[in-house]
Amino acid sequence: MPLASNFFSRPWVRWAAIAIVVVAVLAVPLGFSEYTNQNLARIGVFAVAVLGLNVVMGYTGQVSLGQIFFVGVGAYVTAYGATHGWNIIVVLVASTIVPGVIGLLVALAAARLGGLAIAMVTIALPIIGVPLAKRLSDYTGGSEGVSASFSNAPGWSGLYNDQWQLYMVIVVGGAVFLLTRNLVRGKYGRAFAIVKSNEAVAASMGISPYRYKVMAFTVASLIGGVSGFLYMAVIQFTSPETMTFSHSITLLASMVIGGSASIVGSLLGGAYYVLVPQWTNSINPNLTELLQGAILLLTLFLFPGGLVTLAREITQRVRRPNRHSSGPEQQHTSAAEAVSSHGEAEQDPTVTGISTERQHKS
Amino acid sequence: MGQFIQLVIDGLSNGSIYAVLALAIVLVNQATGMVNFAQGGMAVLAAYLTWWMTEHGLPLLLAILLSVLVSFVVGGLLERFVIRRFERGDPDTAVVVTIGLLTLITGICGWLWSYNNKQFPSLFSLHTVNIFGAAVSFRSIGTFLVIVAIMLALQALFLGTRFGLALRAVAINPDSAALSGLPVGRLLMAGWGLAAALGAVAGALVAPQLTLTPGMMDEALVYALAAVILGGLSSPIGVVLAAWMIGVLENLAAVYVDFIGHDLSVAVPFFLIFVVLIVRPQGLFGRKAVVRV
Repeated sequence: MPLASNFFSRPWVRWAAIAIVVVAVLAVPLGFSEYTNQNLARIGVFAVAVLGLNVVMGYTGQVSLGQIFFVGVGAYVTAYGATHGWNIIVVLVASTIVPGVIGLLVALAAARLGGLAIAMVTIALPIIGVPLAKRLSDYTGGSEGVSASFSNAPGWSGLYNDQWQLYMVIVVGGAVFLLTRNLVRGKYGRAFAIVKSNEAVAASMGISPYRYKVMAFTVASLIGGVSGFLYMAVIQFTSPETMTFSHSITLLASMVIGGSASIVGSLLGGAYYVLVPQWTNSINPNLTELLQGAILLLTLFLFPGGLVTLAREITQRVRRPNRHSSGPEQQHTSAAEAVSSHGEAEQDPTVTGISTERQHKS
Repeated sequence: MGQFIQLVIDGLSNGSIYAVLALAIVLVNQATGMVNFAQGGMAVLAAYLTWWMTEHGLPLLLAILLSVLVSFVVGGLLERFVIRRFERGDPDTAVVVTIGLLTLITGICGWLWSYNNKQFPSLFSLHTVNIFGAAVSFRSIGTFLVIVAIMLALQALFLGTRFGLALRAVAINPDSAALSGLPVGRLLMAGWGLAAALGAVAGALVAPQLTLTPGMMDEALVYALAAVILGGLSSPIGVVLAAWMIGVLENLAAVYVDFIGHDLSVAVPFFLIFVVLIVRPQGLFGRKAVVRV
């Protein structure tokens, strides 16, 4: 093993591996059918939403039942901007900032409360959000919702719409994942972790639990806004239905199923959010709820830590043969797996996670 | 004036529905330290069971009693075979388990009895009496009285009996409770069973008014959770008072405050929560949880 880890900790090997993965991901939209591409784009949209929830709940330990509200606000701002002909970068910035500001205001009050109380304040967001969206029909189109198609492929690209949209999701979503990974791996991530485990200890170390809770909540709502932007880019339609309480609950379930406090888990959660309802619907629409509930319980029975524990176990199984072999060829063949199992390079398994999902689908 | 009294009384009647569910949630929380999102779903399942028995010719009262009994057993078994596995783990996971349970139970109801509305026979007559110019149905009065009786019984159970003391001890510290010789496992099962039985009562009281559907309790659950937080997790009386307050204020705001209207009246309890929690984070009637560091 030391030999192998030496090999993979060499900078040029890691950069080469990352480059290969990036090229592979960028080639994905070109090689699949429209149906698969759209599914992948949706998974990306909700993976970003789950990632946001993970920042506040998984990493900082504050139960939030309102994440879907910020996704909805982001989608509405995007729709408003797009129908008024704003530049797409301005739309992206606005659809991130507006939910972020709302999130900050809510957090300033909510973060004073501990434990369940914060859950109850956040539960209010989707529940009030739905009638509010219907009421503000000048901006939101009321119950009928609003559609905007700003994400069609431009002529010079020579791409189909679904390929262009998937590229948008990969670029924007990938950037969010990278930034969030850096956030939770660094100084702020450690502060979040100590606030989660014990607020008194955090305070005694000079880390204000209040400030970091507000910060985590605000970051979560910013990320939710980006997810809303991508939602609008991929689905091109939103209505009050987008931010119902039941969707918020499903988002929470997806986060725990994927794996709490895990970057890879967020991707798995996004896949769960999109694929499981599709799958149960295709079996028998009348049994959808029954099957979803059963799958949820079964998953948690088998993997209380979420699907990410399964992924970790697999990468460990793959690693083991490495340990006993010293031939350089063998290390080469399992390069992708070994990099993904490498503790520091958690960005890579996210990509392996996506590709296995894709192979199931196609 | 007549309209005002009517609104208050209707509000109390709605609030009573939230209150029973809220009491069941408090019971589970006091006994196991968890919040059970499936409480409403379990109540719906019990209501379907009651309805199914009356369809097969059983008298309503007997059907309700039987389904309360069945619910007690089912609640205990759920705790033993599903919830027990997650009690010591991550609290977030435990919450999601109860969400999964809610989805599963709703799915089972929809699968067995379809998603169409069913007429549920009322335990109390629908005739109304006139009180200060407001028409009050016997059903509202009956529901109201049942709630008050349950609330007082629960308060007495938790504060006045050895059994209630044991339940609280298990919730606060299972290890010390076990060392003092309490049968922790059986007490946890009993707590869940009691809450499920209470839910069955709630289901039977609510179903005639809302008509029976698998999602009947979803809205009530949200209000019940609001009442639980507002009243404080440790106080049955506080929770019921909070539920009534929510019901009444919501009704009044919908009619008298133009901006709110009927569509935004759902915001009222949450606005209330917001204000109360800033001033008293432990709820109106709850005791502050003291955690040793």
